[in-house]
Amino acid sequence: MKRFFFIILYAILFGLSLQAFNFKLDHPIAEDISRLMPVKMKAIKAEDSEEAIKKVVLEAAKNDDHISIAGMQHSQGGQTLYPNGILLDMKQYDKILDLDVKEKRITVQSGATWAVLQEYINPYGLALKVSQSQNIFTIGGSLSVNVHGRDIRHHALIETVESFRLLNAKGQILTVSRKENSELFYSVIGGYGLFGVILDVTLQLTDDELYKIKTKSLHYDEYTSYFKRDVLQNDDVKMHLARISVAPDSYLDEMYVTDYYRANDQTQLSNYNTLKRETIIAVPKFFLGLSRYNDWGKKRFWETQETYTANIDGNLISRNNVMRSDSAFMDYSHPSKTEVLQEYFVPIDQFADYIDDLRKTLSDEKEFNLLNITIRYVEHNDESLMSYAKDDMFALVMLINQGTDNESKENTGRVIRNMINVTLDHNGSYYLPYYGYPTKTQLFEAYPRTDEFFRLKKKYDPDNRFMNLFYKEYHP
Amino acid sequence: MNYKRFVFYQGTVGMAASMIFPFYILLIKNVGTSYSQFGWAYGIFSLTAALSYPLIGKFTDKAGDKAFLLFYSWGMALILLAFPLAYEIWHVYLLQIIMGLLGAVQKNTEKTVLARYVTKTTAGEEIGNYHVWTSIGAATAVIATGYLVDFLTIGSIFYLASLIFAWSGFIIMKMEKNTSLYNVE
Repeated sequence: MKRFFFIILYAILFGLSLQAFNFKLDHPIAEDISRLMPVKMKAIKAEDSEEAIKKVVLEAAKNDDHISIAGMQHSQGGQTLYPNGILLDMKQYDKILDLDVKEKRITVQSGATWAVLQEYINPYGLALKVSQSQNIFTIGGSLSVNVHGRDIRHHALIETVESFRLLNAKGQILTVSRKENSELFYSVIGGYGLFGVILDVTLQLTDDELYKIKTKSLHYDEYTSYFKRDVLQNDDVKMHLARISVAPDSYLDEMYVTDYYRANDQTQLSNYNTLKRETIIAVPKFFLGLSRYNDWGKKRFWETQETYTANIDGNLISRNNVMRSDSAFMDYSHPSKTEVLQEYFVPIDQFADYIDDLRKTLSDEKEFNLLNITIRYVEHNDESLMSYAKDDMFALVMLINQGTDNESKENTGRVIRNMINVTLDHNGSYYLPYYGYPTKTQLFEAYPRTDEFFRLKKKYDPDNRFMNLFYKEYHP
Repeated sequence: MNYKRFVFYQGTVGMAASMIFPFYILLIKNVGTSYSQFGWAYGIFSLTAALSYPLIGKFTDKAGDKAFLLFYSWGMALILLAFPLAYEIWHVYLLQIIMGLLGAVQKNTEKTVLARYVTKTTAGEEIGNYHVWTSIGAATAVIATGYLVDFLTIGSIFYLASLIFAWSGFIIMKMEKNTSLYNVE
């Protein structure tokens, strides 16, 4: 009797559990990696040939679907996403088509990463002119956000592009350069994938060189004069990177700079030109992890960074190796938190005043967890319609730790809008590939040619075949 | 006869437990999004076990081992019905607390039964033999499950294991009617 009762009860519970499980299977929860902006796409298509990509575009036109183009998807503002759209994943379209060693020129499909390119050209003694400090991104993605890096003699990526081929909304393939279809040249680069698919790109290269690292500590109010005198005016300095402290005691005051001088003895290059791999990342990962928790951790992180910088003073390194920084130590997984980037450009003469104002703005923001600021230089360049380099600028890249709940998003958004206001007050601008915190007004102020940009978008893609959340949020 | 049945029972539950074990780890890892959560999930399991051992110890002496084996079998059969449904980290934490308690019951009772049964002079040999059979059960289960996942989903493996635990519960219930577990010597 007792056994009978057990069987019945167990059978009922078994049935209930099975039913609930079935229900769960039918209702999956979709979420993307950044977890700040989950978007459900209609389909994801990864293609490796021109014909196949063209087919995707023509089919989308037939069905009136929107297409978002994706590389490594490190842009955080939804540039690669549109609800119910088709995600065109370009990562498999990654062949190197042509290398002209004498002319220092390479033609490559847009889904290739900088890492692939570096490995290909390094044996020829060639190097990239401009890329980000990290090399994990695709070339198409980098063009669409018009990246810049540590090089102070070549600036935004657009400078190094000779031409590219673009698959437009009608499915036609156009050659685009400063002479041919030039209107598109200046809008596609820095155009966030809104004009078509960049197929292949011809880039100028330069010689790989041996650099000697020199590092130095200084205060923020000495930085601009130091930079002008010892860096810009010294032709031997080729690359530059600085950091400013976010640790208490030295907060937005202490800095250290890393300058890359052309080494006197270039014959030694062969001893240094093996491409380095990602090194053991346990130490930086540990200290970055500490700095997320509290002020004590931030102090330790700043101290280790300082010690590390002092230690590399005098080291020799090849240009290609400078342009392939570690990034794995920044990988971060937390149930309810994530990390976002911001980048602000400020005219170099305004730097000290700007930092003073920034400090004031952030002084009451105890919840705002700022982990790191690096500083690079980018020279005035108006080529791209959406150019951030309206002047000779310092570019401050900030790493921010924030919660993924709505309250945290609102709070971070508010602080970021305040920081952008300070930046705009100093005639600066902000970088677009990050989460959509800024207001429309701020966009139009930071990028005076935004109107023209959106007008061209309508001219070349009236049906909004190429679509993303950035455009949806900001176009008039 | 009864001791043999106990070994058979232990082999069966060992088999069911080994069946779910690899997937159970996967589940904890998938539901959690960080290694710290993974660590907590395991920590909670062991901590609950630690806290429940003193009570379990005291009560087995009073209520008898069989009652506890019964509790373990049915407890496992029911808790496994909840596993496929877990999707949030607190679900996993809760399950881990219950699993910690049940695990402690099984570990403790296994040893008390053995302690009460074996003869002191031949304890080594007897416990050795006992482990041979239970380990064979576990090994068979793990290997077989490896093949099974090709045909079944992870969810159905939890359900299958639950059925085996329920069956093991009946083995114990049957035993109850007959004689005691203890060695007559």
